[in-house]
Amino acid sequence: MKAEAFLREVTAIPGVTGNERAAAEYIAEAFRPFSDEVTITPLNCVVARQKGDGPKVEICAHLDEIGMMVSKIEDDGCLRLECVGGVDPRVLPGMRVRVYTKEGVRLGIVGTAPIHLQRVAEKTKNYSWDTLFVDMGMPADSVRSLVRVGDTVCFEARYAALKNGRAATKTVDDRGCVAIMLEAAQRLRHMEHKADLYFVSTCQEEIGCYGALVSGFGLAPDYGVAFDVCHADTPGAPPNSTSKIDSLVASKGPFLNPFLVKKLEETAKDNGIALQVAVDPRYTGTDADELSITRSGVPMALLSLPIKYMHTNVETFDMHALTEGGRLLAHYLAQVDESWEDALWT
Amino acid sequence: MDLKTLCELNGASGDEGAVRRAILDAARPLCDSVRIDRMGNVIAFQKGRKGDRRLLFSAHMDEIGFIILDATEDGLLQFRPVGDIDSRQAVSKYVLVGEKRIPGVIGALAIHLQSDEQYGHVLDYDGLYIDIGAKNRDDALADCPKGSYAYFDSGYEEFGDGFAVSKALDSRTGCCTMLRMMEKQYDADVTYAFTAQKQVGMRGSSGAAFDAQADDAIVLDCAPAADIRGVDKALKACEAGMGIAVSFMDRASIANAGLYKELMDLAQALGIPHQARRDTAGLSDAASYQRTKGGMRTCVLSVPCRYMHGPSSVIKLSDVQAQYALADAFADARKPLHK
Repeated sequence: MKAEAFLREVTAIPGVTGNERAAAEYIAEAFRPFSDEVTITPLNCVVARQKGDGPKVEICAHLDEIGMMVSKIEDDGCLRLECVGGVDPRVLPGMRVRVYTKEGVRLGIVGTAPIHLQRVAEKTKNYSWDTLFVDMGMPADSVRSLVRVGDTVCFEARYAALKNGRAATKTVDDRGCVAIMLEAAQRLRHMEHKADLYFVSTCQEEIGCYGALVSGFGLAPDYGVAFDVCHADTPGAPPNSTSKIDSLVASKGPFLNPFLVKKLEETAKDNGIALQVAVDPRYTGTDADELSITRSGVPMALLSLPIKYMHTNVETFDMHALTEGGRLLAHYLAQVDESWEDALWT
Repeated sequence: MDLKTLCELNGASGDEGAVRRAILDAARPLCDSVRIDRMGNVIAFQKGRKGDRRLLFSAHMDEIGFIILDATEDGLLQFRPVGDIDSRQAVSKYVLVGEKRIPGVIGALAIHLQSDEQYGHVLDYDGLYIDIGAKNRDDALADCPKGSYAYFDSGYEEFGDGFAVSKALDSRTGCCTMLRMMEKQYDADVTYAFTAQKQVGMRGSSGAAFDAQADDAIVLDCAPAADIRGVDKALKACEAGMGIAVSFMDRASIANAGLYKELMDLAQALGIPHQARRDTAGLSDAASYQRTKGGMRTCVLSVPCRYMHGPSSVIKLSDVQAQYALADAFADARKPLHK
């Protein structure tokens, strides 16, 4: 399956942290043709295995997404929201959202007072969770019979193909990286590899990387490769916080194994794949943080797909960077063998 | 022409071409004459069976939008609103730019990269830009030259209990009502004015009013529905779903008292859902008709509209029906009820 077709479909499936079943089932089916076995764990991680006799490698990217839940239904039928993960409330005014009610998906509008009726003091303040609400366009009684506190609310799913192979959609964080794993899994089906490969689409990353934690315990991998998004260049960003949008980024730092990172750089060079380097002096803010200290420890590498406007409904990425990421990962994993064990800490 | 089709056309003030063409095509078979005037308004005229009254109905066909100022060296388009759009409504929206309708998104610095101080500030148009994926300034301006218009890429959808959401309900609802009225012939001579450039200061209607040959002008517009959270109770002016809002006054015009009473009485007598608009916020084309040349009797019939001037304004469809019903009844009325 081509990455764009996969992304168009998978980003439209709700998978807000803690409620990822639908997304997990879709992803499991996407991996199935390229896997020896696919399982969905109790917390909704998807584990797709390509068997090998060599070292066990866990490759992970998270399938959950930031979103919202209904926290209260007001007397007039408006919904109040609680965010799940780091949603910036300033992106919400005027947004169409999808409310997953007991009778199916319904459209809601994130409402605000119109500009005509705002007082001056209100115009200079940002909207916060206290001032935003969802308008379902129906009387309070109807809302109450349809919507329950705790129901999932997602950004509207859109996909815009931009110039120069770039595209904008919701949930590139981190299904863009699931797409990279899928791309690599397809390639590896036609390549020789010694390693026992587990492509894990993890759950619950956005509230604390819990999927990586439990999947790592279950699989007990020898090595890990985590995939997440990082920030692409944007005006006004602080120094050293962003990367170019057009290629993947390998992280260096104490949480990551220097040998595994060096191998990544070599693989990129050998195959003519552009690769940037970023430095994470401590926490990486990704599944790598948890997976690296699972059980007796897992040496890790971390690759990132640079995106603009992270944690919004318009996350923007470069399709070429994504597909090249799949190629890099495939070539990298095809080289893993027993000899790596001795080189790890030399 | 249905409301969905009308709303999904793009036509910000000064860029009404697509809307103008669609309205011309729809109006021609139904009217005695249809012309484009000096200001870009579409003026359609239908001779009455008796010609005993001369009426004018008017709705603006333009909408709010954006215009491209320039591009940064890294290829991001800088822009400003055409008409009043709260910049807070623009963050993270999908847009279409220029004649080629190039897809883009309105970006801003990610939440993770903002300082506490930045987070406290409203993102204004200096901090927002449109990203079409361009690599540099030349690449961006090649497809979207300076002066290109941009639009929220947000279609028309019906939802909830008879509500609809779109970017351009203000005032394609009025255009829709007039196109529907044209299907009938009245006793009165009726002029239908589809005006340009209302959102930048009622400029189209000033020309339309100068040429108008009518005694009464009924303006069909939208009014901010203040039935929503976040609006002071004192400002609650009209409510979506409670019928057509009849204005005694707005920021730029004052209704003829007799005409206002006539419309209210007519709605009452015929059981047309209606409400007095209890507030004067906003401007309307009535200003032009009221006091150009010798002046006309004017009154505004507004569809209450939530979240106006954003990507997702909301109306109740029954209010559009009520707007049609009252405008139609007024055009049908044999003689004025009040002077």
